[in-house]
Amino acid sequence: MKNSLKLQKATAVIIFIAVAIILVFFIICPLVTIFSRSIITDGKLDWTNIKQLISESEYLETIRNSLLLGLTVTLLSTVISFPLAFIFSRTRFAKAKWMDIVFMIPFMTPPYIAAMGWQRFLSKRGFLWQFALILTGDMNSALCQYLLTATSEWLYSFWGLAVIMTFNVFPFMFTLLKNAMANIPSSLDEAAAVSGGNFFYRLRKVYIPLLVSNYAIAAILVFVKTISEYGTPSVLGNGITFMGTSGFYVFTTKIQYFATVNLNFGMAATLSAVLTIICFVLWLIQMTITKKTSYKLQSGKGVRVTLKKMPVWASVLAIIYIVFILLLAIGVPYFSVITTSLMDKLSDGIVNWDNYSFGWGNLTLSNYANMFTANDGGGGNAILISLMLALISATLASVLGMVICTLTRRRNRCYKTLEAVGMIPEMLPAIVLVIGMMIFWNTSIYNVIPIYRTLAIMVVAYVALFLPYSIQYISSAYTQFNDSLPLAGRTTGGSKSYVFLRITLPLIGKGVITGWMMIFIISFRELVAASLLQPPNTYVISTYIYSLFNQGYNGATQQAMCLAVICLAITVTALILINVTTGRKKKSHR
Amino acid sequence: MNNVKRIVTTVITAAVALVTMSAFAACGTSTDYSQDFADLKSQINELGDKIDDLEGKISSSDSGSSGTSEATASDVTINYSGLSGELNVYMPSPKGIQTQFKEEFEALTGVTVNIVSGTTGEILTMLEAEGDNHWADVVILASWSDGLSLKADNLLMSYQSPYAEYMHDGCVDDSYMLYGTSASAVGVIYNTKYYTASQLESLDWDDYADSQFKGEIAIPDPQKSGACKDFVAGFVTAIDTDYSIIDSWAANGLVNGGGNSNALAAVESGSTPILLAGVDYNAYSAIADGESIAIYYPESGTVINPRPAMIMKTAPNAENAKRFIDYLMSDSAQQIVADAYLIPGRADVECNSARLGFDEINQYTVNWNAMMSVSDTAAAYVVEKTAGNN
Repeated sequence: MKNSLKLQKATAVIIFIAVAIILVFFIICPLVTIFSRSIITDGKLDWTNIKQLISESEYLETIRNSLLLGLTVTLLSTVISFPLAFIFSRTRFAKAKWMDIVFMIPFMTPPYIAAMGWQRFLSKRGFLWQFALILTGDMNSALCQYLLTATSEWLYSFWGLAVIMTFNVFPFMFTLLKNAMANIPSSLDEAAAVSGGNFFYRLRKVYIPLLVSNYAIAAILVFVKTISEYGTPSVLGNGITFMGTSGFYVFTTKIQYFATVNLNFGMAATLSAVLTIICFVLWLIQMTITKKTSYKLQSGKGVRVTLKKMPVWASVLAIIYIVFILLLAIGVPYFSVITTSLMDKLSDGIVNWDNYSFGWGNLTLSNYANMFTANDGGGGNAILISLMLALISATLASVLGMVICTLTRRRNRCYKTLEAVGMIPEMLPAIVLVIGMMIFWNTSIYNVIPIYRTLAIMVVAYVALFLPYSIQYISSAYTQFNDSLPLAGRTTGGSKSYVFLRITLPLIGKGVITGWMMIFIISFRELVAASLLQPPNTYVISTYIYSLFNQGYNGATQQAMCLAVICLAITVTALILINVTTGRKKKSHR
Repeated sequence: MNNVKRIVTTVITAAVALVTMSAFAACGTSTDYSQDFADLKSQINELGDKIDDLEGKISSSDSGSSGTSEATASDVTINYSGLSGELNVYMPSPKGIQTQFKEEFEALTGVTVNIVSGTTGEILTMLEAEGDNHWADVVILASWSDGLSLKADNLLMSYQSPYAEYMHDGCVDDSYMLYGTSASAVGVIYNTKYYTASQLESLDWDDYADSQFKGEIAIPDPQKSGACKDFVAGFVTAIDTDYSIIDSWAANGLVNGGGNSNALAAVESGSTPILLAGVDYNAYSAIADGESIAIYYPESGTVINPRPAMIMKTAPNAENAKRFIDYLMSDSAQQIVADAYLIPGRADVECNSARLGFDEINQYTVNWNAMMSVSDTAAAYVVEKTAGNN
């Protein structure tokens, strides 16, 4: 017994070292490389970047903008997500599992595509204006005149940006809250009710305390996602005037600016360092909250959830709310994207210009065919490469995440650092780590491990960038997982591996799969890493779309939108397949 | 157990230290000697190239004296044999022509062509990040002034192509480092659903400060569009020396339209129906496809910006690179350029009939050296002035 214990400890140590080496090469070295650039110029210490950062209003404004935007989006997401999460976990709507996939759609949409969709809808003479033109039949009608400027004013405002970003990130919060609410056993609520607690009392004393920990995780996730998002602010930010300053710049757009336009890696790195510190502090706060307020709800007794009976008016209200949210989160952007993908001539829009009726004649499917044949079948190749990368990266990151989370449960500070290091990429905008990787993997180490300019470097980047998702979902599953379960398994004679396979894995399985799916989706649409690390002659979907927008020929805009639609179709199909297969497995277990 | 712990800690500390050190080394703090050596090596290479070029000149003048005196570009023959290996090209051009260049050159030589595409800004970043691990052979940019900056930074190799003498004036620099194998010009592109030719085509640049165009005008982001960057640099050195016209546009709601394609899409969709300094070849191809837009060149003139193709001084496949530069100016590559509505760099190759040619477009006086020195500032000025307009 003692010998086998020693053996297990040794195995754990070996695994620990292996994981540590991976993390050092994937995450720490690139970061050290880039941060040393922020204070080292030509081999000498140089503090000018940092002095500039804290003395010039331009940078202080950038920091203020980022924080305000993050805060606003988190609050808006909270307002949207709480009712939705309640509806889909505690009422009859909880049975509509397919809605889970629908609510993933905003998350599956590359943010810059969604932003462009909004732009095409609301900008001057956009689709909304064109609808008004069809309705009134007169360009000079009061409605047309009003819409000509009113909607674009909203689109290019702080609130426009915040609302659009909210509809992109709220699914994170919704999913986490919904799962947390679904795990609250009804017995607790009923006990409180039986003891005479009214609804608000129960909300305050039962639901809220049980949700605080998960809400903290979700809120931090949304906040960090928002301040490290590049797509939407880059599409809209430049046109915004906020608090008297023309142009709304945030960390990411400023970093991208210094990394690609006005080359200054030092400043880019310094801004990244500040962003990292902010996110790190937030993360520490969240850790404390979670630690203080975690409750073990899955104790093996099984969770019984009775769904609330709703009066008809409440159901109707709920449906209206759901439709309203979906219309804004999916309807508007995808109307624009799909319509554009079908357009023969961009300048005709959705209007038949002979008589101002709806322009059916301008819609065609040929853009889809052209997308596949143009540039030697570049579109199809990009899809295949993206699929392959997404599958490999999601699997590797999930395995790594599982190992890290399992090691972390051994109460040992060494192991805890693994989790902390693994979470670092979450706190940085992708561009920071990616530029670090570019420099690190391309210099001294290139002679030893020559993977720069191959697809392997993209796998490395994706695993590093998205490892936090896997860690987050698995550790969230572990939070609600009581230690007594594997102990029970062990005392009744199960071997360590048996206990892991039969108890631990099934219980954290959901977290693993959700994490895998998230990584699959997000690496399927990732843009920043791909645009800087992709090997020559190779495109993934996002870079292909981007290149169509950027240096396209005529018709490229429509083809880019076609590819965006196909990308969504593939992800949705993959999600449905996974849901169907995992659903079956559960049934066979029973 | 304690021992195990101690060993583990030592190993980890050592590993972290090692890796950190290598990361620092990666920042280029201790490569002084190797840098000197590389410089020396490239100087020697350059000398070798010059000798090669001289030999080439001698032999070509020999053959010239025996043949007719009026040689044309079509008589030039390039020997593509004896090449092998790879060629790495950074290139921003329209997508279609990248593939055609790659396939033709591969068929001619058997060399594998690796193309990295990106905007001018992205390509410059990639070059910077490459550090000492040089990879790029040929770099093509959409901005002549950015090309001149690379030359000023001493990054380019000189090579005299036999086609050099047949190029338009200004499409080759005097030290044979930049070859403008294609060129484009910028003009005013507008949506014909909302504006007519008679309304606009008599207007000059400064007329767009008129309040009737408030919120209707855009300009491509000069930090993304090389053509627009060159235009702005020329504009502020030749016409708008006190930036007052740019200021008046900005006050009139001039929108930063993003990259060329984005800006053109905004003209088509009507969100900003007038695009100042829009690059012309995109517009011509859109017009050919039936989009309701038109383009004209204002009377006071514009900039024709050659798109420079350059060989990096550190090119690992210099021989292949030289042949590729030759190829870009060959009959067939120039035809590909013309078919994409670009202006061919060779003076004897006809433009596509749908567009105006090199000599038909009124250029204001361009001084590229002056433009190179202001182009970054001028571009940043436009971006800053247009911020907040939508």
